[in-house]
Amino acid sequence: MNSMSMAQVASSKESVSQANQEYLLQGSIIASAVEHLIHRLRGLCDNVENVPETFHDLEVCMSMRQPNQVPLQVRVRRALGTRDLPFQLRYIGQPELDRSRPTLVRSSIDVGCTSTVLEFLTELGCRVDFEYVSQGFLFRKGRMKITVAKIFKIIPGKQNDSEPVCNSYLVELSVLAPNGQDAIGDEMRIFAEQLKPLVHLEKIDYKRLGNIP
Amino acid sequence: MANMEKLNATLNAVKSLRSSVRQCFEQLADGTAAEQTEDNRTKFLVEFQENYSHINQQLREVETLINGLQPSLVSSYLGNTTYLAQEITQDRQAMYSQLVNSYKWIDKVHEHSLLAFNNLNLNNLRRSYTYCSQKRGRVQYTSCNNPDPEFIDNLFYNDISHTNTIYEVCRQFSSNAVVFATISHVLKAAIICKGVLIEWVTVKGYDEPMEIDDLWTESRYEVFRKVQEHTHSAMLHFFSPTQPELAVKSFMTWLNSYSKLFLEPCKRCGKYVSNGLPPTWRDLRTLEPFHEECKNC
Amino acid sequence: MGVTVLQPYQIPEGKTGAQAIDFLTKRLLALGAVHTGQFLVDCETYISAPQHGPSKAVHVLHDSEYPVTTFSILDTGTGKQIPLVADNLFDLLMLKMTSVYTSKKQTKIESKGARFEYGDFLIKLGSVTMMENFKGILIEIEYRPCVVLFYCWEMIREVLQSFLGVTVAKEYPGYFTSQPVVNAMGQQQLHAKQHDIYEPIDTINQYLEHFTNYRKQNIMPQVSSQSSNMSMNTGMRVS
Repeated sequence: MNSMSMAQVASSKESVSQANQEYLLQGSIIASAVEHLIHRLRGLCDNVENVPETFHDLEVCMSMRQPNQVPLQVRVRRALGTRDLPFQLRYIGQPELDRSRPTLVRSSIDVGCTSTVLEFLTELGCRVDFEYVSQGFLFRKGRMKITVAKIFKIIPGKQNDSEPVCNSYLVELSVLAPNGQDAIGDEMRIFAEQLKPLVHLEKIDYKRLGNIP
Repeated sequence: MANMEKLNATLNAVKSLRSSVRQCFEQLADGTAAEQTEDNRTKFLVEFQENYSHINQQLREVETLINGLQPSLVSSYLGNTTYLAQEITQDRQAMYSQLVNSYKWIDKVHEHSLLAFNNLNLNNLRRSYTYCSQKRGRVQYTSCNNPDPEFIDNLFYNDISHTNTIYEVCRQFSSNAVVFATISHVLKAAIICKGVLIEWVTVKGYDEPMEIDDLWTESRYEVFRKVQEHTHSAMLHFFSPTQPELAVKSFMTWLNSYSKLFLEPCKRCGKYVSNGLPPTWRDLRTLEPFHEECKNC
Repeated sequence: MGVTVLQPYQIPEGKTGAQAIDFLTKRLLALGAVHTGQFLVDCETYISAPQHGPSKAVHVLHDSEYPVTTFSILDTGTGKQIPLVADNLFDLLMLKMTSVYTSKKQTKIESKGARFEYGDFLIKLGSVTMMENFKGILIEIEYRPCVVLFYCWEMIREVLQSFLGVTVAKEYPGYFTSQPVVNAMGQQQLHAKQHDIYEPIDTINQYLEHFTNYRKQNIMPQVSSQSSNMSMNTGMRVS
């Protein structure tokens, strides 16, 4: 940092990481079978020797109405139980319509930020759509991220006492990559094959699910 | 050797002569039996004559043996018995001057060892734990240096307390403690102890990480690198093997004067900044702040 | 990261901005400071479209001292400011809101120049330009080992005086003496910041404060733009 040239200074803004496409496959597994999936994933993924990484996060989904456009959707995620970690602000774009691709592809911007983000977004004009707690396990395989998590509803007024949405775990396989790296889609397909028949990871078409904005 | 045997034989002859003489006198002393008969008297006389001739014979024997002896040329070693013949009167001997001399020497040795002890105590660079002098009063020193863990805990949590300073004792490395001191919002210091003696001090800024796994990296700021140098010289200054507890206490009092590191101008030049640094030195007794280049003027 | 004080420099009469910077650079080097490259702080302001209620402004700032961070300050228009410190990807997110928040390009303002180190001090001589027009000189001085202004203000003041050649008031700079904060009851209070632990956002707040002042000045400082080497394209419009 000491010997920073003007060129570096100028480029600091442009050097924004371009890994802004999210490739995503999703599925679910019933709670009674989740142990088998965890064992399978521990064998397949990078961090074999360690106990699987766990997480317990609160995610708040917000949107901002924009004239003549689909609302801007952002999510704020924070780890429950630890105070020191930064909050994560995430923008997720509309999924691409291309049916030939093996995975769902959507633009995504992940930003680490300070805890003032919720107040900032509210004052900016965002409204809370819904919020939930996600608790489960995280695995890594190269640049692929696999999460196995149970989703809990937030009961208003009872932050610590939430009730599960259903008796299943949500399984997600995702990669953040720069635009145009389509080979990663096939890589993910191959990995998803290895988890069959425990879980079928698929490209979910949100349009067909109906009432989601 | 032959001489020795002869001497032995002569001594034996003397011994038997003495015993015969003794026997003869015993007989004479006993006298005759109770009844003064002629028989008894003659018997007594006969016995005496026998004894007497026997003595004469033995005496001759001794004389011949003695004549056969030659005075030995080499003096034979007689052990301590030689002293039996010594003169014991004090005036006749040369002992006095020798005694006075050795007394003077012992006195000198005593004096020198005392000076050496004081000198070694003054010289704080001496960190060795083996001490030659083992006077009675110093036994507590060795015991202080291997204290039970609670001793240090107690020292830092109860005995030593300074406002604005937080102490935390870690015992990662067996029984030796590492004490983390956070002084106000100014600096953090890790004090590494061996027993009650301070072995090392690391000083870092308030915003720098200070972890048990990383006690040796220097601060990224020049000012704290300088302060660390000064803490080392102070650590050696306060070092006192005979009273380690007091040494730690005085050192901590001194270290705490850094709570005003940025706040006080130099006592000598009156300025805050010199060569880009605040007054990093604190006087060891008065705790007054000085710039490094001002302290020796 | 340490305490930073930002101070506008009054350019002496009859001197251009470039001459003043030159003068200060010489003073600093004579003091024993070492030149260690360049720096840049920029600020862009996004204003909400009028149909979305009362006008709000988002000031987005970048500081080359924190190259992967974007600082944003949301001004609600009701006297409340909410800071957000985020990864620099936040810039892309601002671009997603263009239909609501639009950038006021003509107020894009920056301070850039040389960076010096003197002991643990970090001194930056910044020429402030808005739309390539020279607006003035901002001097940033940071004492990195210290986190509370109260402790090191006298040190900072002494160093400032030693190269500015003028006396600096003994009082703490304005930013530290009276900052409006909202207390637990939701009321606004004035809070003296000189005893607080300093954070990078405090530097950014000071820059925003001074940038806002420069933007308000419609007239140029006493130096005319023609005589200043700092303004290259004098033909461009002046806000």
